[in-house]
Order: sequence, then structure tokens, then C-alpha cells
Amino acid sequence: MSIDTKFIGKSYPTKTYDVSKDKIAEFAHGIKNPDPHFVDEEFAKKSKYGRVIAPPTFAVIFGAQVIGPLFFDAELNLNMWMLVHGEQEFEFMEVVKAGDSITTSGRIVNIVNKEKLDVISYEVCSKNQHGKDVCRGLYTFVVRK
Amino acid sequence: MNTKIEKGATYSAKEEVDKYRAIYYAGASGDFNPIHIDPEFGKAVGLGGVILQGLCTLGFVAKSVTDWAGDPGKLKRIKCRFAAPVLLGNTVNTAGEVVEINGARAKLALKVTNQDGVEVLKGVEAEVE
Repeated sequence: MSIDTKFIGKSYPTKTYDVSKDKIAEFAHGIKNPDPHFVDEEFAKKSKYGRVIAPPTFAVIFGAQVIGPLFFDAELNLNMWMLVHGEQEFEFMEVVKAGDSITTSGRIVNIVNKEKLDVISYEVCSKNQHGKDVCRGLYTFVVRK
Repeated sequence: MNTKIEKGATYSAKEEVDKYRAIYYAGASGDFNPIHIDPEFGKAVGLGGVILQGLCTLGFVAKSVTDWAGDPGKLKRIKCRFAAPVLLGNTVNTAGEVVEINGARAKLALKVTNQDGVEVLKGVEAEVE
């Protein structure tokens, strides 16, 4: 069954994530990137950022808060057994720092029905506690039929 | 590394996908999809075992760019298509080239391959500023 294109434009409730230096360090090690900006508090204090910052793709952590609700949206009814991550794009604006509070929203921006698969594009936008944009992610998922 | 960013500049980087990488990344990112952590499930769905999270591979590529640029805050955009699975024990090679300079912003085209030369990501682009 195809994904109904009437869901283009559907948005999901915003979520807030508090960024800690410990989670940043855990994530940095997860991607084998122990850059001192991420894991060395003393180095980070002396850097131009003044404190520990997050690797750019840390955006997946706060992004995940609005991706779960898309995947398990009963009305949309995605076939998770047939879903794969097709494409990804991130735009980074403000650097994310330890202590930030990031608010994220998600919106379906496109659904394309093809013969053997559907493609669904999900825009995930995050702002920090100062109201500044930190990241825009475009997640494209492919669902085989 | 403090790299001179100019058109035609190139770099390369390499990352080993160790045996437990998908589990570490699952814990760090929250992506516990069974195709990444359960070898029996991976075999049952025809993947031959577990595959690395695509966003972990993209994390390696982002690291290669920010290592080259010398500052994690310089990465302004990155995109890719997930073209082939990355398996545990694989190597992820990244080769980048500055293809365009627009004011303070440099655009890179990246080729991301495994140890056999198979492109695991395609259409990979990044911008630094």
C-alpha cells in the first residue's frame, strides 16, 4: 500500500533536548571522533567557543526526538520492516554547546509514490535557547512495497 | 590541522569499522534498529550480518572534513545518499576535493568508498566556512 500523499505538510509536536558535556563525549567516542573540542573540558574552555561543543552530526540526537513519532505514527502507518534511510542532508547554523537547550520540530515535506517504493522526506529544524537556528536536517526514507 | 582552503585542494582520510562500532553508535545515538545490533536478524533479512548505521558512516565523513578544516564549527552543510551497506570490519575511505569557492564558503565533493573501492555513500557534498 502506498503512503498517502495527503500527509505532505503534516507536522509533529516540538521536543526539547538539554545538551550535556557527558552525552557529547559519549557521542564523540561513538563516531570515533575524540576531538578535544568535544571531550576535553580544559581545552574547550580556552577555545573560541569557551566550552565543550558538540560534533555537527550530534544533530541526530535531538532529531531522533521527532523521528520516533513519525516512524510510529499510526495514521501514517509506515511499514518499518521495509524502510531504509535513503538520503541525508544537514545544514548547520549555530554551533551546539554543552548546556544548550535545543527545541526541535519535524514536518513531512514530500511523499513520492513510485511503482516499487515510496519516498518520504522529513524536515527536522532545531533552535537553541536563544531562538537561533542551529540545524536543519532533511531525512529521506525509502519504503519498499 | 590548519589547512589552506582553496579550489583544487584535496585530502583523504580512513576509518576502520571495528567489531563493536555499531553497538557503540547505537548506545550513543539511540539507533538500536536490530539490523545494526543483531547478527541473526541481519542474516535473516539477507544482509549477511549487522550493518553499520548510515549516520555513523556520515559521522566519519563529517569528522574527516572538520579534521581537515581544523575547526568543527566550520562545517556548514553535508549531504549524501546511502548507496551500499557498511559491514563490521570494513574500512571507510574518504577523499575530498574543494570544487568551488564562493566568498568565504568552500564546497567539497567527496568520494566515500569501502576497502574494495565500492562507493558506500554517493552524491556526497560538504560546505565549510
